[in-house]
Amino acid sequence: MTEIYIGVFLLGILISLLAWYKRSPFFNFIGIQIAVYGFLKGLALFIPPLPSQVVVMYMAMSVFAFFIYFSIREETFRAFLAPIKSVLADRDKVLYRVVIVFIGLPLLAAYITYAKVRPSFEPPVSARIVHPEPPTEIDFRGKKIQILGLENPLRKDTDRMKDYLEEGKKIYYQNCFFCHGDDLDGKGHFAEAFNPPPLPFRGTDTIAQLPESFVFWRIAKGWTGLPPGSRPWDSAMPAFEDILTEDEIWKVILFIYEASGNKPRTWE
Amino acid sequence: MAEKDIKKGVLKGLLKLTLILGAGFLLLGILGRILPSPTEDGYRFFPVIGSRVWVWIVAQLHLNFAAFVLGVPIFAVTMEFLGWRRKDERLDRIAYDFTKLFTLAYTLTAVMGAVLMVSLPILYPKFIQHLMKVLGPTWWAYILFMYGEVFVCYYYFYSWHRMKDRKGLHVLLGVLLNVMGTILLLITSSWVGYMTTPAGVTETGELVNRWQAIKTYMWIPLSLHRLVANVVFGAGIAAAYAAFRFITATTPEEKAYYDWMGYTSAMIAIGFSLILPGIGYLLGVEIYAFNEQMGIQLMGGFYAWLWVMQAILIGAILFFINYYLWISLNKMPGGERYFRYVKFLFIVVLLGYAIWLTPHSVALSLEEARRIGSYHPVLGKLGVMASKNTAVIISYMATFISFAIFRMSNKEPTVSWASMGKWLRVLIIVASTGVVLFLGVYSYMVPSVTRVKVLSPIQFGVFLLSILALYILDSRMFKGARVIGEPRWGQMPERSQYALIGITVTFTWLMGMMGYMRSGGRQYWHVYGILKDTSPDAYLPAHGVASVIVTLVTLLFFLMVAFVFWSVMKLEMIAEQRRAK
Repeated sequence: MTEIYIGVFLLGILISLLAWYKRSPFFNFIGIQIAVYGFLKGLALFIPPLPSQVVVMYMAMSVFAFFIYFSIREETFRAFLAPIKSVLADRDKVLYRVVIVFIGLPLLAAYITYAKVRPSFEPPVSARIVHPEPPTEIDFRGKKIQILGLENPLRKDTDRMKDYLEEGKKIYYQNCFFCHGDDLDGKGHFAEAFNPPPLPFRGTDTIAQLPESFVFWRIAKGWTGLPPGSRPWDSAMPAFEDILTEDEIWKVILFIYEASGNKPRTWE
Repeated sequence: MAEKDIKKGVLKGLLKLTLILGAGFLLLGILGRILPSPTEDGYRFFPVIGSRVWVWIVAQLHLNFAAFVLGVPIFAVTMEFLGWRRKDERLDRIAYDFTKLFTLAYTLTAVMGAVLMVSLPILYPKFIQHLMKVLGPTWWAYILFMYGEVFVCYYYFYSWHRMKDRKGLHVLLGVLLNVMGTILLLITSSWVGYMTTPAGVTETGELVNRWQAIKTYMWIPLSLHRLVANVVFGAGIAAAYAAFRFITATTPEEKAYYDWMGYTSAMIAIGFSLILPGIGYLLGVEIYAFNEQMGIQLMGGFYAWLWVMQAILIGAILFFINYYLWISLNKMPGGERYFRYVKFLFIVVLLGYAIWLTPHSVALSLEEARRIGSYHPVLGKLGVMASKNTAVIISYMATFISFAIFRMSNKEPTVSWASMGKWLRVLIIVASTGVVLFLGVYSYMVPSVTRVKVLSPIQFGVFLLSILALYILDSRMFKGARVIGEPRWGQMPERSQYALIGITVTFTWLMGMMGYMRSGGRQYWHVYGILKDTSPDAYLPAHGVASVIVTLVTLLFFLMVAFVFWSVMKLEMIAEQRRAK
């Protein structure tokens, strides 16, 4: 099904080229928009599909930007408007007028309305908060831990770092890898069952953007214990304070940063 | 506005302020007596829309006008100074026109201020009592300086023509006006600073040190951010005014003047907007330093989605300004030579915009989440600051090149090294873009702290240095250049003026949204960590609701601004008729 978008893309390019040859900026504009849409949707052949929210954003930007482009020069803009004016006003274009203005456009509006309101069994799209703000302090098995400004105490003990990493690795494979994956890519055995899926640790855009104190809080408290400003927050992450000790959490944090090739975010 | 007797004009201004303030205090007294007592925890409720939305709308409208009347005088006096030193009548006229605008806008600013002054103590008596206890003396100082500001403003306006032989003294008056304005801004910023990053009080809100309560984490960065943003905003409103006058102008002379005024104002707005991100960054650093939790909530938590909206709007502003400059080539004799470069600039700005607005975390349906995961492998990489900083810097660079092209499009350099100069220009552009790109890619490979504190400032520094180098090079190269023809001011299609109006409307909407985010950072606190908001409104509204309110405020503001524009035109017409008689 995705292959069809290659055809859409090529059709857009063809329309655009023909319009360019015929010096018709309006149809060039239409062709470009079709090509951009085909390109954005067709990307799914090579990478995971772009979310529809992003496709809508890019398309809106494309319409806005190319409309601007075709209205820079006076003669181009006049030529751009010519087919629209012609369909709306010329006496010999009555048929076009009827088909496009009085039938086509209302039908399109009706279809869009129908598509928006037709019953669907899909749960609504949720604008989830990805980085909830951490609380000032947490209660960890009855001990108050100040989260703000908290540093991994094991990092100072460089002599035993190798042991900590080895232990962290064991803890990871006993507790975390089922969801977060063997390769720390968020594709563990259970990953498919969750929405949102587990966080990948590889790449520079997840844990590399977070200080260790934040990761400690997320592991310790899981989906519970969020400050009021961050609710609701969908997650299946368990609260590991019931399973792991404070030291064990710090060890596994050392491991996930080391194994994913990332460094924790620091402010200084 | 006809120029009358200075004394009469100043008295009129002071009387107007006294009447508005007097009416405010009177209404406050009456409402305090006739309305039922506040609830036990210190609230009264505004009918239908609720207290929060009411105060939100009034405060934002007041702030918009205040930004205008504090921002415009800065460049009005700069224009007057330049006009005086260069003996350029046109600059003097534009400065006078700006002054006319902000003098008229003062009345609306004061009216909105008075409505806010009545609303807050009536609807939030406990909160205002607390503020008065901690910062009370600053309020009385505020009133005092407000009188000073109005006195100098009206004197400055009404003495414009009378003091034309004593321009130096008049410019000095303008400077004094700006000093007064800056003091007012510092006072109001101290209130917001105290509410968001309080200091100088105990945990229960007892005053320990008033100066500490004024001099909070946020005070100076917020004041700086507002000061520069006010200039950008004021210049934007002036550009919108010029655009409006251009569209309604009936003579070629008028069209030419307002075309030039719109161009000058828009360039001031965009020029100053270049330093806004840096000051905004400073403000963000101070918020993080005060409370990391608040910082994360503002930048990466609940409000992360609004930053995407901010990116969309800033990208739109860049597009509008480039569009305006590209379309301006039509009026430059010789401008057609440069149209071939426009398509490349367009592609750069378009790609920059696409990256700049790419969200890091997206709203996903269940099926999309299953197929993509938490982060899209490509979008996730484009949606972080390493790529966004790079994209926006390169877009700004393209915008500067559009500006440079416009300025030189009607000239031909005559210096012997012109050919080498052109190559040098290409070299500067290619090299600086290459360095910015390299640093952007390298940013992915270093810890965030290195990116934030080292690489991003270097990227920004390279950009500033390169535009400075280009500016100096072009000034040298085009010194004594052959002029192909003078710009045909006034010969602009009307759609170009809508781009100027678009810039200003977008600025205004952005100000409303960013102001809401800054205020929402306090969450359910009137004064963060000190005085809790226990009213039924103590929750963060959905982004959709916030957007609707900000849109409503923007619409109301422009209705009022349209009234100011109409008043200026009406008064000009009356003055014209009097002169004709």
